[in-house]
Amino acid sequence: MKRASFWVLAVAILAVLMILGVSWGTVSLTPRAVLAALAGRGDRNAIEIVRALRLPRVALAALVGAGLGVSGAALQGSLRNALAEPYLLGVSGGAAVGAVIGVALGFSSAVALPLFAFAGAAAAIATAILIARAAGGRADPRVLLMAGVIIGAFANAAIMVVLSGAPANTMRSALWWMMGSAAGADWPQVAWLAGYTVLAGGALLWFARDIDILALGEESATALGVDAERAGRRVFLVSSLLAAATVAAAGLVGFVGLVVPHLVRAAGIRRHRALLPGAALAGAALVVLADLVARVAHPPAELPLGAVTALVGVPFFLVQLRRLS
Amino acid sequence: MASSAFVSWRALAHGHLLPGTVPFVRCARAVPVLALCVVACRAASPRRDAMSADDFGEPVARGSAATPSRIVSLMPATTELLFAIGAGPRVVGRTPWDLWSDSARRVADVGVGLRPNIEAVLAQRPDLVLLYATGENRAAAQALRAAGVAVMALRIDRLEDFRRAARLIGMAIGDSARAATVVDSVDHTLARVRSRTAGLPRPTVFWHVWDAPIITIARGSFLDELLTIAGGRNIYEDLSQPSPQVSLEDVVRRDPDVILAGPEGAARIRASATWRAVRAVREGHVLVVDTSLIGHPSVRMGEAATVLAHLLHPGVMQ
Repeated sequence: MKRASFWVLAVAILAVLMILGVSWGTVSLTPRAVLAALAGRGDRNAIEIVRALRLPRVALAALVGAGLGVSGAALQGSLRNALAEPYLLGVSGGAAVGAVIGVALGFSSAVALPLFAFAGAAAAIATAILIARAAGGRADPRVLLMAGVIIGAFANAAIMVVLSGAPANTMRSALWWMMGSAAGADWPQVAWLAGYTVLAGGALLWFARDIDILALGEESATALGVDAERAGRRVFLVSSLLAAATVAAAGLVGFVGLVVPHLVRAAGIRRHRALLPGAALAGAALVVLADLVARVAHPPAELPLGAVTALVGVPFFLVQLRRLS
Repeated sequence: MASSAFVSWRALAHGHLLPGTVPFVRCARAVPVLALCVVACRAASPRRDAMSADDFGEPVARGSAATPSRIVSLMPATTELLFAIGAGPRVVGRTPWDLWSDSARRVADVGVGLRPNIEAVLAQRPDLVLLYATGENRAAAQALRAAGVAVMALRIDRLEDFRRAARLIGMAIGDSARAATVVDSVDHTLARVRSRTAGLPRPTVFWHVWDAPIITIARGSFLDELLTIAGGRNIYEDLSQPSPQVSLEDVVRRDPDVILAGPEGAARIRASATWRAVRAVREGHVLVVDTSLIGHPSVRMGEAATVLAHLLHPGVMQ
């Protein structure tokens, strides 16, 4: 695929999916009713459904996807690991522990929660890298992945301990949140996630050249005059913050960060200055689609978003694993 | 949304609200054809072969000679019932949610009633354990029986289940007459509420149980029945489960006149930007129900229906 056509196609697909996301849902509305509702005319309930429920929800899903796509692309590049992504590295799990602790301490705002999640995510990724290093270096992508899986399991256990005394419904909510969901999105939450995404995404774009060089390997990086250690650390931290912000907003949505960079690279885009924005677009499209499936698959109930992305992501992961070995 | 996901919400945190639990319908063994069996089960309201089997199909021993003197009751509905029929002094264990009557609070708390802690139950040296009949409790029922303790598993979801449970418990503790009196008095109050609300317009109601995910009450729950008796119409009366998960969008479409919620739930709904999409919220028709009164299918259902009728139709019960 020509690169120019990738951009046109990615933007077009995202636009179509976002329009579908606003038009479709548990309640079926005619295109005319949706347009009228967008303009603030017609049935009041339709207006509320479209403007107060669907629009922020689609926006949140797009931001979550964009954040996870960019975070995954940056981690894959800087770790030279085709299987790296926030969920599999335990970053999302760490973020979830941080968020649960934040909630337990009484913080629940859209501002503070990402910071708790970030602290958890940073701790998780630092531990994963330390374990991988102790176990024989980051060179083998599978070692780092295994470390991530262990951290994820530990995070799960920690959350279960915190929740063990909780009433059945609280437990259910926690599990629901850990499976990921864009339900309940509102504009302030969207605005905060947008802020975190633009800041962290912008920073990663700023580091794009460093990520390109890190992707060549540590030796080449040193030869090219880049402090690989420091550059790598910066990229991990910012990618973790980005992933953590998505976790705080929508819970654990796995495999997006894994699938999306591969799709973009398949279009011939290698340099991170282009790969990162490409991953943002493709990630947004994927999660908007997954959220749409989650909403319309089994009405009036909703599926967990993370379950939908995992159904797509796991087969993809297996294909990648086979290609690696 | 994470912010509302972990708020502790205690009332109604009881077996009958947990979805995914399938009633264990045991059919009359005398009926050989499965299809006939299903028809028979639907037609006759007692779901088992006889009056004297519990909801796991196990026989219930008749009282008198072996009348239980130490009872552990692992659901609020049966605890309330035991106290109402005067068997309170014999109750030696309960769950953290069994807070009525005041005397019940003084009974030892042996932990939750779903997948109960067998050791804690046995430590009370019970000769009868009452528990909620769901798949999660099968292993516990077997373990308790193996330890030589009589077990009665009851699935109390609907009004009729309560009547049946009262009959069985009355029989087991050897006081069927008082159990029947309690059931009669509940039925009498319910009939009074029903007659008062009979001719009134019926507002449509969304019953808010939980909001992440959104869980409501549907036809499988006694709360749906109480709502009808109290002169309301549940917007989810078409769904058969006791407490299904639904989407906010669908609530907006069904457009209830009134929302009923517990105190914490009501506060969260009123403060939420997304819930404003529902007309009843914008118009301020979020009514607070006392979840400690209304949560359990037991002896206080008459009082609960009265309170609900009063909420939906102020002044109707005077």
